[in-house]
Amino acid sequence: MSFAVPVVLLALWEIASRLAVVSPRYFPAPTTIAWVLVDRFVEGDLGAQSLVTLARLACAFALAAVPGVLLGLLMGIARPVRAAIEPYIAFIFPVPKITLLPFLLIILGVGEPAFVLTGATSAFFQIVISTLGGVQSLDPRLLEAGRNYGAHGARLFRKVILPAALPSIFTGLRLGLGLALVSLVAVEFIAAKSGLGHLVYRHWQMLSTPEMYAAFVLVGALGLALTRGLRALQARILTWQDDPGRL
Amino acid sequence: MKASTRWLAEHSIAIVSPLVLLGAWEWASATGALREAFFPRPSTIAVHLGQLAADGTLWGHLATTLIRVAWAFALAAVLGVGIGLAMGLWRRLREGLDPVFAVIYPIPSILFLPLVGFLVPPGEIALVVTTAVTSFFLIAFTTTHGVRQIDRLVVEAALHYGARGWRLFTAVLLPGSLPFIFTGLRLGLGFALIVVVAVEIVSSSRGLGALLWLSWQILKVEDMYAAFFVIALVGAVLYYGLAALQARLLPWVQDVADS
Repeated sequence: MSFAVPVVLLALWEIASRLAVVSPRYFPAPTTIAWVLVDRFVEGDLGAQSLVTLARLACAFALAAVPGVLLGLLMGIARPVRAAIEPYIAFIFPVPKITLLPFLLIILGVGEPAFVLTGATSAFFQIVISTLGGVQSLDPRLLEAGRNYGAHGARLFRKVILPAALPSIFTGLRLGLGLALVSLVAVEFIAAKSGLGHLVYRHWQMLSTPEMYAAFVLVGALGLALTRGLRALQARILTWQDDPGRL
Repeated sequence: MKASTRWLAEHSIAIVSPLVLLGAWEWASATGALREAFFPRPSTIAVHLGQLAADGTLWGHLATTLIRVAWAFALAAVLGVGIGLAMGLWRRLREGLDPVFAVIYPIPSILFLPLVGFLVPPGEIALVVTTAVTSFFLIAFTTTHGVRQIDRLVVEAALHYGARGWRLFTAVLLPGSLPFIFTGLRLGLGFALIVVVAVEIVSSSRGLGALLWLSWQILKVEDMYAAFFVIALVGAVLYYGLAALQARLLPWVQDVADS
């Protein structure tokens, strides 16, 4: 039942395109797109270009996740650190991270480091803020109970603070991964010469629309798989708490 | 301790550290520790920002971007709240549209630019519609969730007291979902700014994003920093201004986006 609407929409599109109610040049039939998608994946470079995007995403995510979580935790437990750093985080967080791209391009030159770092910064700030939020929203009663039972310093951190903050950290990582994908694809669209985002751009410029839609579909599938997959993983690993980022 | 002294003590690091950073940057660029070609002195950037503002270039770009964001946001808000409310109220509609939305939503909006360009006249309209895409989904999702999270008991109580149809909607369902709608609008506005900058970089010669990108292409580094500063300022004002507005208008609810 729940797939009835998408199927009907696709069928309508198919018919409209085949009967040339809409221009097949701009809106090729879904079956044509599917055929091109499979064909280019097997014979062409769609698979390779997807791997390029995935590799960039993996690098960007790793670059953002480790320092992001560490900084968030540190800001959560050390007040002076938080006071010193929070204004910068607060200032940069709402800024579109794509604006950092030209700066990274002049400093690092046109190439992978600049692309990957732009993606990484998008994820980094989200991860820091979620992690910090997780530590800050910790129930003070838990802290007191932990202290009363003799947990201090590293022990208190490991046994009380970290487990309590874990759901928020995971949510931050999940949102961060999504943001990294969005900004990486935008970077590819704008500046790179490879990756799925660039494929959409190139085939748009060449007006080879079936290939453009094929790359478009792959980006959507990638995004959907990542968000759904991580959400399922989160529900599975962190069974003791509600997902604080579920809307 | 007096309240003001305490405030100062708590915020002194927050106030001092940016000043120290700016001072260190100024010094490092002046002495050559940082390459001035990449990191011009803050004072130089400020001068360039002043020039851009004085000759009107900056205001033109700023106005263009803000008008685009306003149109895109209006489009996304009307459609998003409307469809979101409808999806929250009618299960059938929700079940039908959910899978469609779930597939489209994670696609970065910039990729819609070509597609939108096929559907509507390219140029300003395509730019605004593309900017509205992600905001629309965000607002629709949050609104739907806002309707769905209303306590069933409240709805049933209203039904028992005879509230039906329009009355039920205006007296119970709308106020109940308002905090979520507002949060959706706030996040949607933020996203509209993010997307408009990206779209301006790709396809426009006007607007703050275009100013940033064109300054890069002709290597006017100071103007790049100036454009970045203005974009950051607009982002911060939209984000924190709206959060403050929400706290003021809807004081009875905790911010649902806090987590």
